[in-house]
Amino acid sequence: MSRRRRRYIFFFAAILIGLAIGVIYGWVVNPVVYKNTGMDTLRLDYKTDYVLMAAELYQSEGDLASALTRIAYIEASSPLAFVTTCIDYAEQHNYAREDIDIMWYLASDIDTALKATN
Amino acid sequence: MNDQTQELRITPQPEEKSHHWYLLTGIIIGIAAGLIITWLLFPVVYQDTSPASLSPAYKEIYRSTIAQVYAATGNLERAASRLALLEDEDVIYALGAQAQRALADGQEKEARALALLASEIQAAIPTETSE
Repeated sequence: MSRRRRRYIFFFAAILIGLAIGVIYGWVVNPVVYKNTGMDTLRLDYKTDYVLMAAELYQSEGDLASALTRIAYIEASSPLAFVTTCIDYAEQHNYAREDIDIMWYLASDIDTALKATN
Repeated sequence: MNDQTQELRITPQPEEKSHHWYLLTGIIIGIAAGLIITWLLFPVVYQDTSPASLSPAYKEIYRSTIAQVYAATGNLERAASRLALLEDEDVIYALGAQAQRALADGQEKEARALALLASEIQAAIPTETSE
């Protein structure tokens, strides 16, 4: 094997070793860390619990605008679809019936309000 | 004897210096490519975060909502487990400090809910430790 060819092989081997080092460093040792995340990045179970809180407050206060404002921190564009997704999650994960009913109550009133505005 | 022989002096060739800088260059190129891939092209995506990773402003919204729900429902166990998700170093201090800020901002209802939850949790702590 010529000296020149050997150098090329070692050069590309060095690139691969460096690539491996870079990937391990970037994904494992020091990955991009999101410390200041928004509420839209929360896992679905946390989102569902937050929607449950909004529903509990809505049941107590009866203020739909406040409930929608709270939900908008997570999903502003389609609150009804989002609340329904959370209800589906709650039903699949055996949340207490009364909690699911509270969320349905909120979803129903959002639906009514949306129909009234359209 | 005709001695016409000449001394042949063969000067030894200087040994070719073998530099290995190309290896270092290759490793640096590789590391740079690796970091571009992992930090720019395909960074670790945080889609399923917990409330503990929220920004301070969102943590305040989350904490305030927990306090207001507690004020409405009186379910301390649920409020405490929700607050634990925020992983505050001192839950009572976090609630109290936010209550003061809310009061200063004229958010009396929110401030009252936060202060109520702080005092209820503080009152519950000795009971839990004495059991």
